[in-house]
Amino acid sequence: MHALNDAWAAVNAFMASGGPVLFLIAGLTFFMWTLIFERVFYFHKSMKGDVQTAVDQWEKRSERKSWNAHQIRYALISRVSEKINSNLDMIQACVSLAPLFGLLGTVWGMINVFEVLAITGGGDAKQMASGVSMATIPTMAGMVAALSGVFANTYVTRKAERESQLLEDHLTMDH
Amino acid sequence: MKTIAKRLIAVAAAGLISAGAVAEEKATSLDQLLKMVQQSKIAETKEHRQREAEFRRQKANQQALLTKAQNTRASEEARSAELEKKYQEQEVAVQQKRKQLDERMGSLKELFGHLTSTAGDLRANLQSSLVSAQYPGRTEFLDKLIGKMNSQTKLPTIDEIERLWYELQREIVEDGKVVKFTGTVIKPNGEQAEQEVVRIGNFNLVSNGKYLEMTDGNKMAELIRQPDSKYQSMAADLQTATSGFSPVGIDPTGPTGGSYLKAMINSPSIVERWHQGGPVGYIISAVGVVAMLLAIWRLIVLSGVSARVNAQLRSETPNTNNPLGRVLAVADENKGVDGETLELKMEEAVLKERPAIESGLNLLKIISMVAPLLGLLGTVVGMIVTFQAITIFGAGDPKAMAGGISGALVTTVLGLVVAIPTVLMHTIVNGRAKRILHILDEQSTGIVAENAERK
Repeated sequence: MHALNDAWAAVNAFMASGGPVLFLIAGLTFFMWTLIFERVFYFHKSMKGDVQTAVDQWEKRSERKSWNAHQIRYALISRVSEKINSNLDMIQACVSLAPLFGLLGTVWGMINVFEVLAITGGGDAKQMASGVSMATIPTMAGMVAALSGVFANTYVTRKAERESQLLEDHLTMDH
Repeated sequence: MKTIAKRLIAVAAAGLISAGAVAEEKATSLDQLLKMVQQSKIAETKEHRQREAEFRRQKANQQALLTKAQNTRASEEARSAELEKKYQEQEVAVQQKRKQLDERMGSLKELFGHLTSTAGDLRANLQSSLVSAQYPGRTEFLDKLIGKMNSQTKLPTIDEIERLWYELQREIVEDGKVVKFTGTVIKPNGEQAEQEVVRIGNFNLVSNGKYLEMTDGNKMAELIRQPDSKYQSMAADLQTATSGFSPVGIDPTGPTGGSYLKAMINSPSIVERWHQGGPVGYIISAVGVVAMLLAIWRLIVLSGVSARVNAQLRSETPNTNNPLGRVLAVADENKGVDGETLELKMEEAVLKERPAIESGLNLLKIISMVAPLLGLLGTVVGMIVTFQAITIFGAGDPKAMAGGISGALVTTVLGLVVAIPTVLMHTIVNGRAKRILHILDEQSTGIVAENAERK
């Protein structure tokens, strides 16, 4: 319990020195990872069912040669890959937004530094320090959020691509 | 010519009147004027003669007056010498008395020196002390005491010295107290109101959740700009609290004049910050508003279309109120044709639907990319302003440079603030549009094929 309190205090201190932008970055990161986990769970759970339904529907057909069959196969693949690829764009957008949030924090902190400069005339380095930490911490947090997202995003995208490809291979045509 | 002559006459006549001449009516011609001048001359000579006669009459008296005056002078001179002698005697006596006073006071003299300096320090303290808001008029007593100790003829009484002690003690005791009292508070709009004020030691004065400052020694005025609402509500809680602990935000520089709270008044509000961005800032804001309106409009339109497409997916008959329905209607019309032709026809129909679904998306994307660039533009403009300030004032004055720099940074912030939500909105709107296009592009022929087989 004591360790937990300490950790909570550390997080609070970090948030206070980083300024309000850190909350935005935290919210964005939380949102991004929620989407990523949702994708990962989908790939491991319900995706298999979706793929299986499509394959069954295809295998049930008496003929798989005609124009009709081709179009139906195309539509089947499209429906499943739409499910597989959903939210990927959003994850990508979050990854590219994280450094932008960091930059926002940086500039906000710099404004604070220059405000202190305007009031004290630059004689007080200690008062400027809070603005400087407000400028640098969000940049770091934004970078960390983006980096963590980049790896996960790459994994999720590759997985989605591979699964769509596999689905296409499963739905074989008679020639 | 005539008018000039008339004017001359008028002026001359005015001069005569002011000199007290007899001629009161205006002269109507130059001749008449000449006559009038002559008459007045005669009158003046008459007056002079009268005066001369009077003077001669009094001449006899003058000698008597002179002797009288000389007598007075002699007697006054004698009196002066007498007084001077007396003054010299008394001066000696005064010096003796002073010496006596110095001897008798002895160590008291040193004590008075200490008392004077202590009273002076206390007076300076009390002038800036917040306790003076509660107990006004303390400095008058100190002024009187210091005056007495500096004078040669008066001595402070024991009561007064003890009161100095009391005032010192009271200041220390009151410094450590949080108390409520009623006082006159000057509002920012100039009105005065009698209200309950809470004094937190010597740090802050708060009243009804507002922070006050002391002006002119004992007048309380509400700060024009207040701290965050969090601190205001804390201050209000403190005022209503009756016991226990109540957290409150205080200005640590309070006892020395409250420079932090004063600096807070100078720091700009959000709206002022926004104005610091200048013309570039306004352009970015306008672009941002356009982007938001566009995104919301597209979102509403696409949601409607999406809902109708979903309804179409479930129904059998094509409905022309949605893109998918229109594409399927094309298939219905061309029932007899072969597969390839039908596919071409449907592709054509899909191509027709595309622009309506994708409209505005490119603009959104462009805005999301242009907004940070505009921010950068503002930054560079601000830096130019800064360097101009350096050229004029030199680099020695950070205050002259700070204005341009904060303007530069505000535009960067604005650019990012516009870009971030625009990117998000673009992703969301683009996702919706893509889904509809997917259905049209990849599934429409499939749906037709399925319908055909089911029959």
